[in-house]
Amino acid sequence: MPPKSSKAGDGLDYKAIAKQFAKAKAAREAREARDAEAKEKGLPTEKEQTEILERQRELLNNKRQKAYERRWWWTAAFWTWLLAVHGIGIWLFASGFLLTRLVLDDKSSCAAPPVEGLAVGQAALDVNKGCWHPKQFDRAVVILIDALRYDFTVPEDPATAHAFHNSFPFLYDTAVKAPQNAFLRPFIADPPTTTLQRLKGLTTGTLPTFIDAGSNFAGTAIDEDNLLMQLRDSGKKIAHLGDDTWWSLFPGYFEPNISKAYDSFNVWDLHTVDNGVIDNIFPLLESSKENQWDLLIGHCLGVDHAGHRYGPDHSAMTAKLQQMNEFITKVAGSIDDDTLLIVMGDHGMDAKGDHGGESDDEVEAALWMYSKRPFFGRTSPEFAVPPANAKIRPVNQIDLVPTLALLLGIPIPYNNLGKPIEEAFAGQKGNDWANLAAVSRLASAGIERYRQSYFGARGISQTKEPGSPAALWVAANAAGLGHKDAYNALTEFENETLQVYKGLWARFDVPRMVAGVFVTAAGLVMLVMYSSRPADEEFVVANDAELDYAERRLELMNLKHEDQEEHPDQHLHRNLLGGLADARVLFVVGVLIAVGLYRKQPLDGLAALVVTLLITGVISALSTSGRTILNILPRTFWGWLSVVLTLSHSIGFASNSYTIWEDSILLFFIATFGVAALISSFRIESKVDRTMAIYHTVIFIIIGRLASYSKLCREEQMPYCTSTYYSSVTSSTSAPWQLVIPFAVFLVLPDVIKAFLMPSKSYEGLAPTWIGYAFRGGLFLSALYWTIDAANNGGWLADRLSESTLKSAGVYLAQVILALSLIAGSTSFAWAPPNISILSTSAKTGQLVTILGYGNAMGARYLFLPLNFLAACILVTKPMGSGALALMMWQILCLAEIIDLNQLKGESIGPVMLAILGNFYFFKTGHQAVLSSIQWDSAFIPLFSIRYPWSPLVVALNTFAGQILAAVSVPLIVLWKVGPKQRGVLETTARALGVFVAYFAVEALTTMSWAGWLRRHLMLYRVFCPRFMLAALLLLAMDLVGILVALTGVRSNTLAVCEVFGWAE
Amino acid sequence: MSSALAKAPSAQATDAKPKTTVAAVPTFDNALSKGVSFGRVAVLLGLLAAQFNDLVAEPVLTLQSALPVVAVVQVAYAMLCLPAAGSQQAKAAKKSRPGEKKKAEPAGTSSVTAFLALVLATISTPVIHALFILFGAPFLDHVTHTFLCAAHFSLLGIFPVIYARGVDSQSLIAVAGLSAPLDETLGGLLGAVLGAWLGAVPIPLDWDRDWQRWPVTVVCGMYAGSCLGSWLSGVVFYGKRLGGPAASAAKDE
Repeated sequence: MPPKSSKAGDGLDYKAIAKQFAKAKAAREAREARDAEAKEKGLPTEKEQTEILERQRELLNNKRQKAYERRWWWTAAFWTWLLAVHGIGIWLFASGFLLTRLVLDDKSSCAAPPVEGLAVGQAALDVNKGCWHPKQFDRAVVILIDALRYDFTVPEDPATAHAFHNSFPFLYDTAVKAPQNAFLRPFIADPPTTTLQRLKGLTTGTLPTFIDAGSNFAGTAIDEDNLLMQLRDSGKKIAHLGDDTWWSLFPGYFEPNISKAYDSFNVWDLHTVDNGVIDNIFPLLESSKENQWDLLIGHCLGVDHAGHRYGPDHSAMTAKLQQMNEFITKVAGSIDDDTLLIVMGDHGMDAKGDHGGESDDEVEAALWMYSKRPFFGRTSPEFAVPPANAKIRPVNQIDLVPTLALLLGIPIPYNNLGKPIEEAFAGQKGNDWANLAAVSRLASAGIERYRQSYFGARGISQTKEPGSPAALWVAANAAGLGHKDAYNALTEFENETLQVYKGLWARFDVPRMVAGVFVTAAGLVMLVMYSSRPADEEFVVANDAELDYAERRLELMNLKHEDQEEHPDQHLHRNLLGGLADARVLFVVGVLIAVGLYRKQPLDGLAALVVTLLITGVISALSTSGRTILNILPRTFWGWLSVVLTLSHSIGFASNSYTIWEDSILLFFIATFGVAALISSFRIESKVDRTMAIYHTVIFIIIGRLASYSKLCREEQMPYCTSTYYSSVTSSTSAPWQLVIPFAVFLVLPDVIKAFLMPSKSYEGLAPTWIGYAFRGGLFLSALYWTIDAANNGGWLADRLSESTLKSAGVYLAQVILALSLIAGSTSFAWAPPNISILSTSAKTGQLVTILGYGNAMGARYLFLPLNFLAACILVTKPMGSGALALMMWQILCLAEIIDLNQLKGESIGPVMLAILGNFYFFKTGHQAVLSSIQWDSAFIPLFSIRYPWSPLVVALNTFAGQILAAVSVPLIVLWKVGPKQRGVLETTARALGVFVAYFAVEALTTMSWAGWLRRHLMLYRVFCPRFMLAALLLLAMDLVGILVALTGVRSNTLAVCEVFGWAE
Repeated sequence: MSSALAKAPSAQATDAKPKTTVAAVPTFDNALSKGVSFGRVAVLLGLLAAQFNDLVAEPVLTLQSALPVVAVVQVAYAMLCLPAAGSQQAKAAKKSRPGEKKKAEPAGTSSVTAFLALVLATISTPVIHALFILFGAPFLDHVTHTFLCAAHFSLLGIFPVIYARGVDSQSLIAVAGLSAPLDETLGGLLGAVLGAWLGAVPIPLDWDRDWQRWPVTVVCGMYAGSCLGSWLSGVVFYGKRLGGPAASAAKDE
């Protein structure tokens, strides 16, 4: 009896059944007659024939399963090739764009000065007298006024003065009135002008690069030699007040009882940090407290925050500068003769009060040094008055490092590239050339020593031509130079060396970047051609069980005559990869590699050339297989919509505004698709389908808007944005009320999913257990985890349970959930039967077999896989984000319905919308395209300490939860409401995945192009570079998830379904 | 659910029952109507240009005071140029017999239709408002801004459609599905949607211009789009279908 799909029987069926009964009866009679006849003739009876058919069916199934597995492996191989292309393109670009610097672990030591045979009077090799040079001060007070621009400190004509002028005159006045006690000079920062990078430069004496190679996972702590490390190793005590950035850079350095850190990110608070510094610093300056510290750092943030909040030209800035003026005046009065006072800015600010880039206003800070006893000198009388603007006589910020080190008598940090500041060593009369030459020689020798080690470690050969550092070093060490000449020669050497390093670390490798963009673009063309739909290819979902059954019988009949049948796309992927194995291509590639290796050419050019050749091979194979370059032109409205959404999103990355407001733009796109789908739904003929399509579309749009309420604003969005992700702007913990969200998810989400499975009668098989108990249980445990976490953070149970008990409970709970969702979940997914149920009902005709869930056999079972990942993602996402991810799942299911009802399975819009949803929920789970929004603490959800590779994986799962969920759901869109006999599932899924990844590939390509093109843009490090890094990481992650989860999931899904229903192709 | 039946497009195409197609809404074929139709575009755009500075400075006040003016213009346009829903002309138009002499409709019917359409357009305003919010407009802030913007949208895009189509569900579904043939009313609606959509594009830019304020760009885009759309579909693309029944099968695949 043919299986009957689950159609609601009505009155009309009755007649049909009666008819069928009559037919069946007649058929049986005929069969019996035939059997009798056959027996007489000695031929096989009907029964025997059925057995033969059965055997043949088994054979056919085995053959088809093997063919499917081969096909799958070739598909996976092709995707691995895609991953390799993406990886090489990104590597090429990133190695030219993200400048890296090798961090050397060498440390300077007091006993080993870089210059051999120092004069006995000069080097005591003893910290108490001064290691390499006689110590001048016992202690130093460093007041860092964040964003103190140079023009804030110099007088301005009142007629043209702004709010930030003439409010902080103390520095200038003392330098003019008592030049031997103080000097003021412009203090030039090396970009990026962000506080963290600046503090690195100010303490190590090196130039910062975007990524310092060698820095460890999540580790912001500075491990290379620096001023604070030298002080600590010399047994000196360091106290710190103010900005807590120092504490993450120098953990464990500061005297615990007297130091106080304040949160640095609350830009709206102008006073807490400053008042904290001011209130706490004066007690420490009393003479009774002076043995408690040797270096006292005060870091004020008020000026910076006033700039961010109001901009410099505002009365708040005036008030802030006046407060600083008063503060510094008082500090200068409180120190003793053996204390050096330094006031400086770490960077400036632009006209809007922001910083981070490399414009003049941002790099021009101020430096003021003060000593109660006359100490400073000027080598020329015209230097007595501080420069009128920052273009005159500036000092580099790294110059502070050797200056402070020598004045305090500690060794100059090993990696230092700065040179001593003239005023501090020229003697009071400004003519102590011997001293200047001596300190300059020390600093230069250190730089030379560093240069030797760095070039040695990196394997860079050094030039010795005239004007190069090496030649200048020889010249400066020539015998018979006077002190003044030696000093000038050494200064020239120092300047030149600095230029070389700036070139080395701050210059972009444009050819590499171009090669990267080119390879990525070629790879994208290949991917888009691969993902395009050949004009004749259709993915028609028929889902008619009776039709399927009839077809199958026919197939078995034909099998007798024709044993050879092959899947039309059996060799598609193999042929595509065959483009790689073309003898001519291989020959050229072989020759290129051989020549390249023989001539020791740089790897990047060779890689670019080889990959381009190979891509060309695959592209020509694609053309041959019918997916030509012209085929990528959209042919339908939906194709055009996909292109418009993808391109407008990506082109927007050329503008910092569109990059900053990406989350709102994605919501706009989601609503746009929703409206288009709504219009299309109105065209559906069937009233029921039309109503359902409209219903799902409306829900789809509303959910998007609802989810948009979960947001974490980036700094640039202020003041037009309110963060809701955490309990407050300044915290990274959730508010107690937000705990309601995971519990609501636990209560509602499984029922929502059930409601999507019910109409296709697919809430059968394992589904009730899986969704109703296991998934729901996982959600409950997640909610419980976050309750424990909140209890721990809030100290709710402080008097009953210890913090460590709560932490352990949370960690083990989290491990259980992850094991349940990912390990147990994946295993069960591989073994689970389809979500079907077979109902046998007695009818007049005999047994009537109904298969519940037949029409969604593929999709309903596949849904388990996204649900497993959803459970894991919800655990590692904070409470607000769990609500967002639950909404995302709902929206994905709506999308699946919309795509199915509008018959868009073969279109590119489904995967494109998934990519947009994935990116949208990246923002809705508390992330932004900035490094600071990475939720490092998520690494500690299932672990007590950092463990590789688990910690980075958990952080990746937290960061990319939205996109991962979207990638895992790509097959769901194709498989939803698809029956077990559907043909071309693997090919259509692979193509959909291609479209999905193409979206990310376009983003990676455009962000890298814009970042490369705008590499001198003010916002490079704040906007364009992080967005490129995000896009690049995402592309690789999506490739990996696509191969390891989506394609693998489709394979095991198909194997399981076809084991029950037999293989359709 | 019998999704299986709705699935196979080939089957669907063969047994597609002959549908009563929704016809385009013609404008009256007389000089007055032509003039008014053209004059409306001129008046609306002129009004927008004249009031632009006020719109930027005081969006709420300007939109509020412009609303009755736009309403009068639209009602006049509808009554003088468009056949009222259910009227003789409309029926004649459905039979699509061009050139046939038509009897003058009593002015009363069209004014009642205009009034009812105005009421329905007013009722549709909160729906449009909700749509703006769904696209990302502020929910609790700027409520008056958004609402007035939605009211203008209703007047521009919705009112003529309801005036000409009435509440006939088949025609309205055809309009909502954009499967009705292009005419001035549908073109005006489509243009308003596309214009408002494009109008949102410059808002995020950091140019710090006053005209980037909500909802100035959207209002401008809406007016420009609606005027352009109704003119284009009234004159150039009249009667054309956006993937109509024949093309819709291909489109929906």
